[in-house]
Amino acid sequence: MKPIIEARGLGIRFVKNRRRQLRLREMFIHGMRRQPDGTSFWPLRDLTFDIQPGEAVGVIGKNGTGKSTLLRLIAGVLIPDEGSITVRGTVAPLLELSAGFSGDLTGRENVYLVGSLHGMSRSELKAKFDEIVDFAGEQIRRSIDTPVRHYSSGMKVRLGFSVIAQLRHPILLVDEVLAVGDKDFRQKCYATIERLLAEGRTLVLVSHNESDLTRFCTRGLYINEGRLEVDGPLREALDAYNGTSLPRPASQPTRVHT
Amino acid sequence: MTSSVVAVWSHRSVLRLLVQRDLTVKYQQSILGYFWSLIEPLAMGLIYWFVFGVLYHEHAGPDHGPSYAMFVISGIFPWMWVNSAIGEATGALTGQSRLITTMKVPREVFPIGRVVGRFAEYLAGLPILVVAAIIFNAPFSWYLLSLPLAVLLQVTLLVGLALLLASTNVLLRDVERFMRLAQRMLFYAAPIIYPLSRIKNADMPEWVKMAYQANPLVGIFQLHHAAWYPDEFPSAGLLATSATGCLIVLLFGWWIFRQLEPKVLKEL
Repeated sequence: MKPIIEARGLGIRFVKNRRRQLRLREMFIHGMRRQPDGTSFWPLRDLTFDIQPGEAVGVIGKNGTGKSTLLRLIAGVLIPDEGSITVRGTVAPLLELSAGFSGDLTGRENVYLVGSLHGMSRSELKAKFDEIVDFAGEQIRRSIDTPVRHYSSGMKVRLGFSVIAQLRHPILLVDEVLAVGDKDFRQKCYATIERLLAEGRTLVLVSHNESDLTRFCTRGLYINEGRLEVDGPLREALDAYNGTSLPRPASQPTRVHT
Repeated sequence: MTSSVVAVWSHRSVLRLLVQRDLTVKYQQSILGYFWSLIEPLAMGLIYWFVFGVLYHEHAGPDHGPSYAMFVISGIFPWMWVNSAIGEATGALTGQSRLITTMKVPREVFPIGRVVGRFAEYLAGLPILVVAAIIFNAPFSWYLLSLPLAVLLQVTLLVGLALLLASTNVLLRDVERFMRLAQRMLFYAAPIIYPLSRIKNADMPEWVKMAYQANPLVGIFQLHHAAWYPDEFPSAGLLATSATGCLIVLLFGWWIFRQLEPKVLKEL
C-alpha cells in the first residue's frame, strides 16, 4: 500500500524581520527566488518520512520548532520551498482554534460555510446539523444564532471540532486544540478520536501533553531545530524530547563508548 | 496555469459559497440591504448629470441618441462594478486570512469571488437600467447584445486585476492606498460620463489619444454605451485593443499570483 503522506526532503524557509516595504522593482525583476533583506531561516528542513494509512502519529518538539508549520504543509495551506510532500487523500484540519470561522457570521452560518468549504454537501450538513450542535454542547446550542465573534475561545474550538469530526476525510490533523476545551469536552474529543482511529483514519497530532500523545499515537516524530531527529515508536520520540531538557539517560547510544 | 484554472473550476461550489457569504455579511446589518447597490450608482449618476448635463449642458452626451441622463446611467452601473471589485479584491486575501490558512482550496477563488460578488450586484441593477431606458426613450435593438460582450471583457479584465492586486497587497500593503487613488483616475480616464468623441476631437497630441485608447476600459465602456447609443459601438481596432488588453491583464495577473503564492501563504 502506498503511504498516505509522503515527505521527501521537505523544507520551508521563512524570513525574519522582513522589511514591509519590499520594492516593487526587486520583487518583479529578481523574481521570488532572491532572498530579500532580513535573515532567512528554515523552520523545517530535510524532512523525509512516510505515514501509512491508519497510523496515528504524534509530532513532538519544543515551541517554535516547526510542528505547526509541518501540519500546515500537510494540510496544503503552505507551499514548501524545498523537496515535496504528497498527500493521497483529503485532509480534515483542526489547525486553529476557530477552524476558519468568520466572526461576522452566526454559529449556524459558520457551520454551513466551513462544512461545505470542506466538501460536505448541503443535505449532509442538514442531516448532521443537530448532531454537530449537540456535540458542541448546551452553551453553543443557546448561542447558535449569535455571531461567532461573541463566542469564547473554548466555544469556538468546541464547535470547530464538532464540524471537523463529521468530515469523512481519511486524514485528521489536530494541532494543540485539545488543550483548550474543558474536562467534559476533552472526554468527548478523546472518544471521537478513538472512534475515528478505529474506522481506520490517519491521525497527525501535535501536542505537548504526554498523556494525550500516548493515548492515541503509536509513532512519534521528534522535531528539533527544524530537523527530524527521531522517527520511531512514540516512547522513543518522547524520551528524546525529554532528553533535551533533562539529563541524557545512560542508554543514549552516543554515550555508550565514552 | 491551466492546472490552476481547472482547480478553480472544480471548486466553483466554494466560489458560490464565498460569494453568498460576502453578500450575506454585507447586507445583513443594513436596513436597505441590496437597495444600496442601486442607490449608490443612482446618486452618483445624479451628481454627474447635474454637473455636466445641467450646469455645462452644451452637448454633454453624444450627438445622437437619448438624453445625457441615460448616458450617465449606462456608464455608472458598470463602473460601480469595476470600482467595488477592484477595491474589495485588493483586500481579498488579507481580509480572509483565517479561512485561507486553514482551508485547502485554490487560493484564486478568494479574489475571483469578490469580482463575481460585485457582478451579482451589477446584475441586480440591470432592471434599473431597463426602467431608465424606457423613461428616456432609448431604443431596444440588436445592439443590446453588446452588453454580454462588454461583461465578458470586463470579467476577464477584473479577474486579472483582482489576482494581481490581492496577491501583491499581502506583501506590500501600500497597494491598497495606491489603488484608492488609481481608481479615481481610472474613472476619468475612460469614456464613462463623457462620450469618446470628446477625446477624439480634443486638442491633444495624437500619442495622448493613442495612449488613452490603449486602456482596455475604453472599449468596454463603449460597448456598455453602445447598447443604447448604437453610434458609440467601438471600431474593430478599438475592440481588438481592448480584448487583447483584457487578456494580457488576465494572464499577467494569474502568473503573478502563482509566483507570489508561496510567499503570500507565509505572510498571512
